[in-house]
Amino acid sequence: MDLRRRHFLTLAAAALSAPALPARAAATGGTEKVILDWYRLILELVRHTATYSPPVAARAFGYLGVIAWEAQAAARGYPSLAGQVNGLPPRPNDRMARDPAAVMQGALTAGVRALFGNTGPTGQRAMNAMQKRLDALVGGRAADLAKGGEIAAHVLAWAEGDGGAHVQNLGFPDGYEPAKQPGAWVPTSDIRLQQAPLLPEWGRVRPMAMADGMACALTPPPPYDETPGSAFHAEAMEVYETSKTLTDEQKIIARFWSDDPMLSPTPPGHWISILIEIAARDALPAERLADALARLGMAQNDAFIACWQSKYEFNLIRPVTYIRRLIDPKWQTLLITPPFPEYPSGHSTMSGASAEVLTAIFGDGFTFDDATHADDGLPVRRFASFRAAAQEAAISRLYGGIHYRAAIERGLDQGACVAQHALRLKTL
Amino acid sequence: MKWLPLLLVATPVLAQEPAVPQFRAEPAALAHRFSGEWTFMVGGGVAAFDCSGDGKPELLMAGGTAPAALFRNDSTEDALRFTPIPAGVEMTDVAGAYALDIDADAVTDLVLLRVGENVVLRGLGNCRFERANEAWGLQGGDAWTTAFAATWEAGAPWPTLAFGNYINRAEEAFPWGSCTENWLLRPDGRRFAAPIPLTPSYCALSMLFTDWNRSGQPALRVSNDREYYKGGQEQLWHVVPATPPRLYSEAEGWQRLRIWGMGIAGADLDGDRYPEYFLTSMADNKLQHLKAPGPGTLPQYDDTAWARGVTAHRPYTGDDPRPSTAWHPAFADVNNDGFTDLFVAKGNVWEMPDFAEQDPNNLLLQGADGTFTEAGDRAGVASGLQARGAAVVDLNADGRLDLVVVNRNGPAEIWRNTGPVGHWVAIDPLQEGAPNRNAINGWVELRAAGRVQRQEVTVGGGHAGGTFAPLHFGLGPADQAEARVIWPDGTEGPWQPVPVDTVTQIRR
Repeated sequence: MDLRRRHFLTLAAAALSAPALPARAAATGGTEKVILDWYRLILELVRHTATYSPPVAARAFGYLGVIAWEAQAAARGYPSLAGQVNGLPPRPNDRMARDPAAVMQGALTAGVRALFGNTGPTGQRAMNAMQKRLDALVGGRAADLAKGGEIAAHVLAWAEGDGGAHVQNLGFPDGYEPAKQPGAWVPTSDIRLQQAPLLPEWGRVRPMAMADGMACALTPPPPYDETPGSAFHAEAMEVYETSKTLTDEQKIIARFWSDDPMLSPTPPGHWISILIEIAARDALPAERLADALARLGMAQNDAFIACWQSKYEFNLIRPVTYIRRLIDPKWQTLLITPPFPEYPSGHSTMSGASAEVLTAIFGDGFTFDDATHADDGLPVRRFASFRAAAQEAAISRLYGGIHYRAAIERGLDQGACVAQHALRLKTL
Repeated sequence: MKWLPLLLVATPVLAQEPAVPQFRAEPAALAHRFSGEWTFMVGGGVAAFDCSGDGKPELLMAGGTAPAALFRNDSTEDALRFTPIPAGVEMTDVAGAYALDIDADAVTDLVLLRVGENVVLRGLGNCRFERANEAWGLQGGDAWTTAFAATWEAGAPWPTLAFGNYINRAEEAFPWGSCTENWLLRPDGRRFAAPIPLTPSYCALSMLFTDWNRSGQPALRVSNDREYYKGGQEQLWHVVPATPPRLYSEAEGWQRLRIWGMGIAGADLDGDRYPEYFLTSMADNKLQHLKAPGPGTLPQYDDTAWARGVTAHRPYTGDDPRPSTAWHPAFADVNNDGFTDLFVAKGNVWEMPDFAEQDPNNLLLQGADGTFTEAGDRAGVASGLQARGAAVVDLNADGRLDLVVVNRNGPAEIWRNTGPVGHWVAIDPLQEGAPNRNAINGWVELRAAGRVQRQEVTVGGGHAGGTFAPLHFGLGPADQAEARVIWPDGTEGPWQPVPVDTVTQIRR
C-alpha cells in the first residue's frame, strides 16, 4: 500500500512536538495503525460516496467512533457506551479478547464495509485492499477478528433504527414545495436535483448523546425584514459589503473551510482529519485515539441533528437570494451556496461541537497544523487552539457569502452545547 | 440567455413539437461487447469512418479485455449489416478510438486509446492498418488513456495530438489524487516529438480542440472526472504554435467548474457563431453558453441546461428517482428539421446503488424555441444497458442519422433511423494537398430558409470515440441550400449552392 500522502509527513514532526497527553504505556500493538489507516481511507470514502452529504458523513463518523471505542473497550476492559448513549443495548455474552489490534481490525472492517456499502467500484476495491493489508499486518486470531465483527454488527444494528440509515436520491426529496412567505428559503441553484432542500427530516434522526434534536435549540434569528436599516437588512449588508472587500487571506480562509461534499471529506471529515493528524504526530495511544474518535464522531452526529432541526424550524432565506432580490441582482458569492436553509450555519454548529470535544481532550491552547487540504493544493494552516479554528471555520461562511453573522455566532454556541452531551459519557 | 425571449416572440412555430424520428433496433446487424472490470469502467468508445470508399462508415469498437474490432459496413437502405473483418486493429485493452488522416495521404489513420501503450495505426487502404508508433515516432506511454483530440497547428506538417490519461492504475487503496499526466504530442517534421506533459492533469475523460472564441486559434478543452482529482477542475489550454501549452487562468476569466466530466460535445445552437458545450456528468449535465459572445470574449459560461431542458439528470422512464450517469454526448439533427438535437449515452458506472441502474439513453430534440424535448422512449432508443461510447451517423447513406452505442459488459446496440426523412445535405470539406486535408477546426456554414447553421470540424470529444465523416445538416422545410467553409486558417470560402439530399465535397 502506498501511504505516501502527506498524512505521513506529520510523523516526521512528531519528535518536535510536545506530547499533548501524559504518556501512558499501551501495549496495543498495531491498533493505532489499524485505526489511522482505516480512518484515512474513510475520509476518502466520505469524499467519494455520493450519499455522503455532511449530515450523513457525521452520522458515519459517529457510528464508526462508537465501533472503534467498543472494540477497544471489549479488548481492554474499558466501560462500554451501551446504556449511556440513546438506545444502545449491552452486547450479550461479552468476553475479553486477546488481541486488541485484531478486534479493532475486525470491527472497523465490518463497520466501514457496512457504512460505505454504496460507494463506487474504486471505493470497493480500496476497502478490499485495505482489509487485506491490515489483516496481514495484525495477523490476528480468527476469533478476535470475528469478535470485532460482532461488535460492529451490534452497533450497526443499533444504527439501523435511528432514522438516518437510508438516504434516498442523495438526500433530496421528491415533490418538495418551498414555503411562500417572505424570508423563507428557496432553491439557490440551477441544478435540478437541488430544487428541494437537503434532508429536511434530518432533525428527527435519533441523536447519540443528547436527548433529541431540540436539546440545544436556538432562539430565532433576527426577524426577516426588507427595510434598510433593520437588523436583518444590516446582516445582509454585512455579507454583501464583506464580499466586496475580501482580502486574499479571507478568500483563502473561505476556501480552506469550504469542505464541499464530493470534493472534500466534508466539514465533519475536516475535523476528523485534524484529529488523526494530531494522533499520528503525537503517537496517541489507541485507547485515547478511540475515545477521541468516539466523542468527536458522536458530537458531530448530534451537531448536525440539532442544526438541521433548527434549519427547518426557521427555514431562513439565504444571503444570495435576499441580496439579489433587494440589494444587487448581479451579486456573486465566493462559495457555492449549499442547498438548504440558512440558520444556523452547519459548519459553525459542527465546528463548535468539534472544538469543544477536542479542547476537553487535548486542552485549551493546543497548537496544531491543519493539512487537511494539502493534497488539493490549499496551504497548511496553523491554529493556536481548537476554538480558534472553529471560529475561523465559522466566519469563513460569511466570507464565502453563504451565511449571516447570527447563523455563525449562534451556530458556534449550539455546537458547544451539543458537545457537552458527548463529553459527559464515561469511557477511560 | 438573452436570445431565448427573443426567439419566443419571433418564432411562429413555437408550439410545434419536434418530429420524433423512429429508430428501429437491428440487433442482428452487429455483434460486439466491450468488457472488463475496474480499468474498463470508463471508455468503450466507437470510431465511425469510411475506409472502404463506399461512402458508408465502418465502425471500430473498443473491446476492453476483448479485442477491438473493425466492422465493415454492408448496410442497405432497408437493413443495417456489419461484418467483422481483419484489419490490424485486433488488440486487447483498447478503451477508445478516433480516426483522422495524420499523414495527409487521403487514407484514414487510427489512434487507439489503451490501458497500456497507445497505438497509432497507419491506414493502408481498403480497411487495412499497420502499427506506426515506431515509424512515426509516437510514444505510446503506459497509462490508462481515456481521452483524445487532434488539431493542426498553423504551419505544421502533421497534427498535434492530445492524450488524456486517467488514474494511476497501480494504486489500490488510495487511487484518489493519482491522476497521471496528460500529453501533448507535437509534430517534428513528419514524426512526433517527445510528449509535452499537460500538467496539472486531472483525470481527463474527454478532450476537444475547439475554436471557442472564434479567434482562429483552437484551444484544448479538457473535461475531468472530479471523482479522482484533488485540487482539479475543468480546463482550457492555450495551444499556440511554437509556444508551450498554457492553461487559461482566472485572471483571463476562466471560471472554476468541478464535475464528473465524462464527455464534451460542441455546437452553435443559437446561431451566434460561438459554440455551446454540453458536458456530461453524473446527475445534472451542463450546457454552457458563452456569457458575452463577441470579439475579445472571456471564457465565461452560463449553465443553460435547465433553461433549455437538457439537464438529463435522472431517468425519464420507469420510477427510479436516482440520478443518472451520462457518458457520450453528440449533437446531431436526427429528424432533419434544421435544429440540432442531442443524444446522450447513459449507464451506471458499475453497481453504484446511489445512481440509477436502469438509465435510459437520452434523445433530446430541439424545437424552434431553442428548448429540447425528451424523445428517447418514443424514438425507441431508451436502452437501459450500461452505455458508454456512441456514434450518431448515417450508416446506410439514406440521409437519416442512425445510432450505434457501445455498452459495458453488454452487447453493442445499433438502431436504424427510419424517418421521417426531410431534406438534408452533408458537407465534406477538403484541402487537397494540404497537411490538414480534412480542414479540422475549420467551420462549415449552411444557409437555408433564412437561417444559418454551422458546425466546427473536430477530432476529439465525446466519450472515447468520435465520428470522422461528412458534416450532416437537416434542412427542415427548405429544399435548397447554400454552404461555405471557413477554412482552418480563417479564410472564408464563397457561399455556393449545394444539392440537397446528398453529400457534397467542398474543395479548396
